Amino acid sequence: MKQDPILERAEKLMKPGEISSSGFLGNDNRKLVDILLDDGQTVASLNLSHEILADRMEELTEKAREYLGSPVLVDGYLEVTIQDSRGNIACPFQHMGMYPKENVHVLNVKTGESIQWTSLNIHMIREHGFYEGKGSPFRVDPLDLVRVLGIMA
Amino acid sequence: MEISPFLIFFASIFTSNILLTNFLGMCSYLSISKDLKSALGLGEAVIFVMSVTSVLNYLVYKYILIPFDLDYLRFIIFIIVIAAFVQLVEMILERFMPRLYYTLGIFLPLITVNCAILGVALFLVIREYNLLQSLAYGAGGGIGWTLAILALAGIRQKVDESKVPKGLQGPGFAMIVTGIMALAFIGFSGIISIQ
Amino acid sequence: MLSEVLRTVSIVSGISVFLAGLLTLAEKFLLNYGTCRININNARQIEVKGGNSLLRSLMQSDIFIPSACGGRGSCGLCKVKVLEGGGMVLPTEIPYLTEEELKGNIRLSCQVKVREDIAIEIPEELFNIREYTATVEKIIDLTHDIKTLYLKFNDGDELSFKAGQYVQIKVPRYGKVRDEVYRAYSIASSPRNRKEIQLIIRRVPQGICTTYIFDYLKEGDKIVLNGAYGEFYLRDTDREIVCIAGGSGLAPIKSILHQMHEEGINRKATFFFGCVSKRDLYYVDEMKVFESLIPNFRFIPALSGPKEEDNWTGETGLITEVVDRYITDGSNMEAYLCGSPGMIDACIRVLRSKGMPEDRIYYDKF
Repeated sequence: MKQDPILERAEKLMKPGEISSSGFLGNDNRKLVDILLDDGQTVASLNLSHEILADRMEELTEKAREYLGSPVLVDGYLEVTIQDSRGNIACPFQHMGMYPKENVHVLNVKTGESIQWTSLNIHMIREHGFYEGKGSPFRVDPLDLVRVLGIMA
Repeated sequence: MEISPFLIFFASIFTSNILLTNFLGMCSYLSISKDLKSALGLGEAVIFVMSVTSVLNYLVYKYILIPFDLDYLRFIIFIIVIAAFVQLVEMILERFMPRLYYTLGIFLPLITVNCAILGVALFLVIREYNLLQSLAYGAGGGIGWTLAILALAGIRQKVDESKVPKGLQGPGFAMIVTGIMALAFIGFSGIISIQ
Repeated sequence: MLSEVLRTVSIVSGISVFLAGLLTLAEKFLLNYGTCRININNARQIEVKGGNSLLRSLMQSDIFIPSACGGRGSCGLCKVKVLEGGGMVLPTEIPYLTEEELKGNIRLSCQVKVREDIAIEIPEELFNIREYTATVEKIIDLTHDIKTLYLKFNDGDELSFKAGQYVQIKVPRYGKVRDEVYRAYSIASSPRNRKEIQLIIRRVPQGICTTYIFDYLKEGDKIVLNGAYGEFYLRDTDREIVCIAGGSGLAPIKSILHQMHEEGINRKATFFFGCVSKRDLYYVDEMKVFESLIPNFRFIPALSGPKEEDNWTGETGLITEVVDRYITDGSNMEAYLCGSPGMIDACIRVLRSKGMPEDRIYYDKF
């Protein structure tokens, strides 16, 4: 499907070397609009919304920030660690504003599964419904996210 | 056939909406209708370019193509005129209206290949409009097109939040919505008719 | 028949040539801004070809405004005060500017196009910043994700800087990276040694510059940098000094310690260095040496999550907790912080609670 110039420009900025060295799309050859559509439907089919997922991620990130890089156990089953670097990263949707380079790593101690994200991920999920392309190092697959964090509809 | 320009203007917005009755300009209509803001941006650009190019193409047709008996070349000439005009507008905007350039700029290149704009130029030749009628038709056509894309964008923003069967997601659903919208618009056709 | 073909061709070509000519003329007149003058601080005037961005025009005249993204309007660092000319504030700038800055005519120099004579105001010290070429002498691993780089300036060039300042490294096009970018790193070596500098760099996951330094840069390679920038340097007072750093934030503190040793500054000073476990800790021995060289200096490393095999006997806990334990009254101290934004914010809160005034807490916010 064709996409509008704003998405077209965003897709360009998501290429490796534009904003981050590996880009946002991984080896996903689909158009950005189709990636958005697919993940949006996945989330909708779970009776969840981008908002709910982003809220939970934000909450865990806040907790981790208090511990300055040391792991912290949240709700008894999630071990959350933050690694923040200097500098900020821009949103490829030209949504403007800069997001700190924070890497949040979450380990579900019950299942041993883990997932990671950045504060830019949270913004992109909340505002644009974008979880990054398949194969991207920072892809936050909605199904993985829901499973690891144990989010219920 | 002398129809008042006023009538043409309103007819081309509602009863003979170029998008919903002739199904022209469908590709940008389907792809840029994801949210209201960009739909409006594109719509504004279409209104402006359509109004001016309909007059330009009328003049080119009447004073160059007809006297030299070249009206069979109108497709290619019209396209060239539209493309050159869009380029010119882009430069003028960049120089004198930077703010507008930043909001409309990204939509301008899309307009060159918007078939609704070529469609308007061709229709006004077939229907033998005069200068004023052409202007009315161009402006009305642009407004009508914008109205249609805004309506679709509004609907799609709602639909995106709800569950749609896999096979109908995206363009499929937009086509169904467009069909229903077209039915509604054609409902007016008894009131005024210009075709 | 032939004449008809010729006529048709010539008319179609005529129309095309006319339109193309019109566009060329339009481009010549509409997009040509001639030579424009940039008036800087009412002290210097430079002439540039109009049409480029202010950032680029200044760079061509060897005036460097700090900018990380290379002029794509995505870092918001290249702010300058535009007094005259420059047109209106563009939608691409607004997100990076506060209301105060908007009122104060602050603009992003990468977005302002030089299309007329323009007057700007920039900090005086930016005049002293220029571009340097250096050769990578040594690259050494300090921890699993921190490396140190020794750079020697080419052709006997010298960089004069204050201890604590930073330089910007130009990252060339490499691999899939198709645009040059700049990234800032603090200098870790002594300000006395102007021929050579040391940088300490921590790997940022998928970062454009750190990936280049960690995976592409080799000893003997040439590197382009500009500097020195920054308001992070030792203030000339008699107050007790508190330094707090984490990760690669040790770099500017190390430079300041060199300065204290070389200039015989004997103010009471404590350096808190926070890491997670022993594998993140480095330069402990070097700091011990500084303790013996600088009379009133103490180095306090702290681990927030030491592993069992670390056999750690030193301070444990978050760096903020350690600082909280050591400092009782901060009202007559000054603090120098360097590290991640989260750590800096948390430390400021602790220091404020100890009575330290905010204007005596110094840090570089990148």
